[in-house]
Amino acid sequence: MTTRDIVFVAVGVVTALSALLSVTTKHVVHAALWLLVSLGSLAGAYLVLGQELVGLVQLLVYVGAIVVLVLFALMLTRAPIGPHAEIDTPWWQRAAGAVLGAATTALLASLLLPLLSGATVDLDAPAATTPRIAQAVFGTWVWPFELLSVLLLVALVGAFAVSRLVLHREDPAADGAVRRAEGVRR
Amino acid sequence: MSWIVRMIVVLPALAGLLGLVMHRRRLVAAAVAVSVSAYVMVLGLIQWVAPARAADIDSLGSLPLGGGLAVPLHLLSDRVSGLVSFVVALVVLAIQVFTVWYLRDDPRYGRFAATVSLFAAGMLLLVQAGDLVLMLVGWEIMGWCSWLLIGHDSERPAARRAAYKAFLVTRVADIGMVVGLVALAVRAGSTDLMAVLTASGHDTALTVGLVGVLVGVAGKSGLVPFHDWLPDAMEGPTPASALIHAATMVAAGTYLVARLFTLYAEHDGARLLLAVLAALTMVYAAVLALVQTDIKRMLAYSTLSQIAIMLSALAAAPAELGPGAGLSHLLGHAFFKALLFLAAGWLSVLGGATALAALRGRLRPTGALRWATGIGLASLAGVPPLVGFFSKDTVIDAALEGTGAGSVVVTIALLLTVALTAAYCTRAWLLLDTPLAVVPPTGTAAGPAAGAADPAPGSAAASPAVSPAASPAVSPVAQPDPVVPAEQVAVVTVADSADDAEVERVHAHGHAPITLSAALVVSVLAVLTVVATLFLASLRGGVHVGVLTALVSLLLVAGAAAAVWVAGDRGRSDVADRVPGPLRDRAVRGFGADTAYVGIGRAVTALARLVVTLDRDVVDAYPRATAVVARAAGRVGERSHRAVPSLSLLGLLGGVVVIAILGVTAWR
Amino acid sequence: MIHLALPGALVALLAGIGVYGVLARRNAVLVLIGVELILNAANLLLVTAGSRPGAPFSAGPVLTLFVITIAAAEITVALAIILVLFRRAGHIDLTAVPDLTDDPDDPDDPGDLDDEVESWGTPDGADDGTDDGTDEADDADGTAAPTAARSGEGAA
Repeated sequence: MTTRDIVFVAVGVVTALSALLSVTTKHVVHAALWLLVSLGSLAGAYLVLGQELVGLVQLLVYVGAIVVLVLFALMLTRAPIGPHAEIDTPWWQRAAGAVLGAATTALLASLLLPLLSGATVDLDAPAATTPRIAQAVFGTWVWPFELLSVLLLVALVGAFAVSRLVLHREDPAADGAVRRAEGVRR
Repeated sequence: MSWIVRMIVVLPALAGLLGLVMHRRRLVAAAVAVSVSAYVMVLGLIQWVAPARAADIDSLGSLPLGGGLAVPLHLLSDRVSGLVSFVVALVVLAIQVFTVWYLRDDPRYGRFAATVSLFAAGMLLLVQAGDLVLMLVGWEIMGWCSWLLIGHDSERPAARRAAYKAFLVTRVADIGMVVGLVALAVRAGSTDLMAVLTASGHDTALTVGLVGVLVGVAGKSGLVPFHDWLPDAMEGPTPASALIHAATMVAAGTYLVARLFTLYAEHDGARLLLAVLAALTMVYAAVLALVQTDIKRMLAYSTLSQIAIMLSALAAAPAELGPGAGLSHLLGHAFFKALLFLAAGWLSVLGGATALAALRGRLRPTGALRWATGIGLASLAGVPPLVGFFSKDTVIDAALEGTGAGSVVVTIALLLTVALTAAYCTRAWLLLDTPLAVVPPTGTAAGPAAGAADPAPGSAAASPAVSPAASPAVSPVAQPDPVVPAEQVAVVTVADSADDAEVERVHAHGHAPITLSAALVVSVLAVLTVVATLFLASLRGGVHVGVLTALVSLLLVAGAAAAVWVAGDRGRSDVADRVPGPLRDRAVRGFGADTAYVGIGRAVTALARLVVTLDRDVVDAYPRATAVVARAAGRVGERSHRAVPSLSLLGLLGGVVVIAILGVTAWR
Repeated sequence: MIHLALPGALVALLAGIGVYGVLARRNAVLVLIGVELILNAANLLLVTAGSRPGAPFSAGPVLTLFVITIAAAEITVALAIILVLFRRAGHIDLTAVPDLTDDPDDPDDPGDLDDEVESWGTPDGADDGTDDGTDEADDADGTAAPTAARSGEGAA
């Protein structure tokens, strides 16, 4: 049990607890906020593991962008403020979910713990420093990296297109009003 | 010289094109058609008279096909092709001039004239061709144009049916033609006529080629079993009939066989087949011509008989004699048959019908027409100074000189046909010429035709306005079951007029006095029928009459004519009425050949349907079954997909976990 | 010096919690939170594996970066879809029986998305420049047919 072990256990407990809270809380907005905490502390776990670049990207992208997006989505879908019992599925589905979640945990643990049981790593001389990661990204992984940028563009355009779909069923009167307004604008 | 040959082929085609463009302007169309025909005739005359050399070969530019097959597209100009193309152009010119008058009220005259020009182009191409491919092209152009011409009055179902019948029957026979020409070309390694004629070896290809060409010739020339389309083709306007029968399409087969004569002379099997077919056709058609009730159908059957005579000359003549006998009969026949058809057209305009019963005695009061018809019929029968006598006796003479079974069969059939031809010519002349006032009512002698004759005296003596009274009186007797759709029944009805369109035209517009030019054309043809023997003299083996054969055929002609004269009571009654009614009825309808054609067509269609059914319901069943199964599976998947999302997620993750557990335990 | 069994245990925990989150929530956005947790478990596993000595090409951290990027793309599209769902159905309750029937053989089906969709809110020619791009995007998503777009324009 080294110092890093202890720090990791602390950060990991925070991560796991906040994750658990984020999936069990009755407040819709709190779920997103607990997710924020969980992801942030996971960034800390990355730091403890010696991957400061990954941890920073985790902070930037996940905490800075994705959670904000989730919050926006919650607001745009008129999420209720305050505790709300209706955000959960029926009890038997939750029970099944708990069983499946426990099974997943047990499976992964039974697989990973024996695999990693004796493994230790000396992080004072880390194998993957940031310069080396940068070399790998722009050397070995340069084509997947470029493909990723294309993927991001496609996702951007796709999200834009999907979100602007107008459905007839939605509200004929409002639709008509929109059309009339457009007609006036024309 | 070569430009003349090219012009002879190209000019009529251009005239056809121009006529098609100008078909709404009647005068222009007529001017183009007539002037180009006249010019081509002059060119043909030059080609016939001028050549100093024996043969002049010109090429349109060879077709680079490769594959060891040379397609030089030669045009072959010699004395034979010059004479034939001159006669063809002459007949076409006569027909074009006559058509201007005959179709005076037809709004589609322009198209008709253009089609005739194109038809002439096809025939002239065939005549000038020194290459199998060009021959086939001309052959097919004529087949297509005959469809257009026969079906000219396309508003009448009978004309449409006749056109399709002609097209389909000749098309079926053309399968043999194409196969035959391909076999000959493969044998020679070239489509050049000279190469084909001089090639050696490959007996199987030679047999296939000669027999295949014979089948095609039998189709277009109307030999048994393909003969029945020709009488039905009378549904076309009379000039079209004259064109098809006199010098072009029907005679083209003779010309083709004559071009390939050296090959046929060496091949006994193909010659025997040709001899048997020709002998059968000439006697059969002559017998049927004797009992016909319609003048155009009678002429059609006589054409069948005469074409068979030409081909029999080619089948029986010895090799050293050459094809001259057949060709000379082709040329002589062109003159007098064109004359007879144009005269029949003129007569039908005067009489308002083409049924013999309605035309009885109509010839008597006319001057030039009576002479022309008389000369034509006499020539057809083979009366001495006329061209028919010389050409026919040349054929008989050639057949007598031949050796082998074919020439024996042909000689016997020829002698029979001479007598029969004289008999039906005499009958036609007596019926057309004997004044009706003298004819006592024949009473209810026999058959529906006799019934048809009864109202005829009154109607024919009166104005043609009465003659529709004759037709309805006759038609119910002969009409088949009226429930049957018009397209399904045979068009032949006893005592019915073949050229109904002309009859309707006369009824609608009344008589039109014949124009000077049309009458002049008929007269010129009559004169040519007398003097055309001089043309034939230029042909090698063209006129060769033995004393014995001349005597025999003269005796036969005189005897048959006298017999008909006596039996017909000097023309006061119809000889054919002596034939028992039902038998005659069937003979007029061609002994059910049409039904047989329809039966064959139905059988082929049924077979095709069967194949389609097998293909669709048996072979295709497997691929379609996979599609159906896949579709059904897709449906099922889609239904099961359409669930509550949270439940689906539950099922999905449950499945993932189960699979993971299985994987982990298996891995352990 | 750190024992890698600890991050392994955290991976298992996060994945299980994520699975539970996916299954226990009826709000679609909250389901996405569960998905994010599972993704993060995967990321952590990648980093852990990459920390072991001898991992080639720095694969662990690089692939983690990739997954983070992909997750960003994924959540963008997913949230767009959720927004459309909300506008169409008025809620994002995943336990409700959906009326999204898309039987291709039944053009009269009232729930057929293809028929109901009118691509682009402004069906006039004012934004022709953007029309093409959106049509491609629609096709890529497979949710809108060009015919539907034409019919919508014709109606307008």
